[in-house]
Amino acid sequence: MTHDHDENHVHNLLPAEPALRVKALETILLEKGLLDQQAVDAIIDEYENRIGPQIGAKIVARAWNDPVFKSMLLADSEMVLREAGLAGRQGEHVVVVENTKKVHNLVVCTLCSCYPWPLLGVPPAWYKSDAYRSRAVFEPRKILFEFGIDIPKSKSVRVWDSTAEIRYMVLPTQPKESIGLPAPELAKWVTRNSMIGTGLPLRPVGD
Amino acid sequence: MKPPHDMGGNPSQPIIPDKPDDKKFEQAWHRRVLGITIAVGAMGAWSIDASRYARESLPRSDYSKFSYYEKWLGGLVNLLFQKGFINKNEIQSGSGDSIAPLEWRNRVLSLKNVGAVFLAGAPTRRDGPKPIFSIGQKVCAKLPLDTLSIKNGHTRLPHYISGKAGTIIKSHGVHVLPNTNAHFLGEHPENLYAVEFKASVLWEQNPSSSDTVVVDCWESYLEAG
Repeated sequence: MTHDHDENHVHNLLPAEPALRVKALETILLEKGLLDQQAVDAIIDEYENRIGPQIGAKIVARAWNDPVFKSMLLADSEMVLREAGLAGRQGEHVVVVENTKKVHNLVVCTLCSCYPWPLLGVPPAWYKSDAYRSRAVFEPRKILFEFGIDIPKSKSVRVWDSTAEIRYMVLPTQPKESIGLPAPELAKWVTRNSMIGTGLPLRPVGD
Repeated sequence: MKPPHDMGGNPSQPIIPDKPDDKKFEQAWHRRVLGITIAVGAMGAWSIDASRYARESLPRSDYSKFSYYEKWLGGLVNLLFQKGFINKNEIQSGSGDSIAPLEWRNRVLSLKNVGAVFLAGAPTRRDGPKPIFSIGQKVCAKLPLDTLSIKNGHTRLPHYISGKAGTIIKSHGVHVLPNTNAHFLGEHPENLYAVEFKASVLWEQNPSSSDTVVVDCWESYLEAG
């Protein structure tokens, strides 16, 4: 590492303990008038209480119930989601990929942790882990097995590495037992992991 | 040497799936980092590419040791310093020396604009030339090193596809090029493609010959195969 490079690294001048480190930065920014605390609180509130996988689940349920919507979604996800007001921060350019009898899709970001935030909310810890980022591209079947899914040899696994600003969401296969249910009921079958590819839709607990 | 953030293909640990009752944020400070990063980012002083580069260029030992939100925080502090928003003394003392210039304070994200920032995001699609490569065409990925616009610079070409042959399966249109944009050298938009690689081409040991990996690649990352 060059001397020049080190000069740009001042992060370690803050307290070592991360909670104190954040507090110190927030204080500096507030004192300088570079941060509005109410805006920060509102951003957190959005992700904590409003944006989450229930949004993606609604899209999946509608696609299961409405073949015209499904074909539009698969043909131009970006346009369909923009019209629904769902093409916001970190989901500006979404491509929905469909699981079929022949293909199981799995989404990863090996270079950082890109994820379709407006549809699925904050990414889970495992998605951001070194283990998932490292292994998803070279042993996806082993990973799926760790999530309890055994993909038959007759099916291929297609891994989507989100290296650009395209965000991928999986359209899982609809379970036979759920066919005919109204969309709000169907949405309950759609798990977050089924939209990443590390899970399958599940009968809702208590049904 | 492969940079630490370029993880694809590294041997690693088993995955620990989360449980339904796991919290969205493991620690209270995680959500503060998220909120502050987005709020400060909305001032428009840098792009997502510059943010990513700031995280990637944390010292190797810190990158490996830091948790996800610590990387965000480290990258953010360094960017704020590099762009002159905060100085060394302030970082050391944990207190602001002086009020920031009005020009910057006018750009601070206010509560009433949070909704608009969420809705708008930061689209990277631009107008530009027609794609050179066509669907179904064979291409070969370059070496990451050969796509950098500055020494030790930013690229989104992962090492594991370097020198490997794949097939164009989708054209994503023209998008901002991170390799220049991360360094404030302009957007230089280029055609972006989804390129599919056979797992058997990428990895020596692969149990299923039908598996594939799709990687989004800018035109300048590729050569005709």
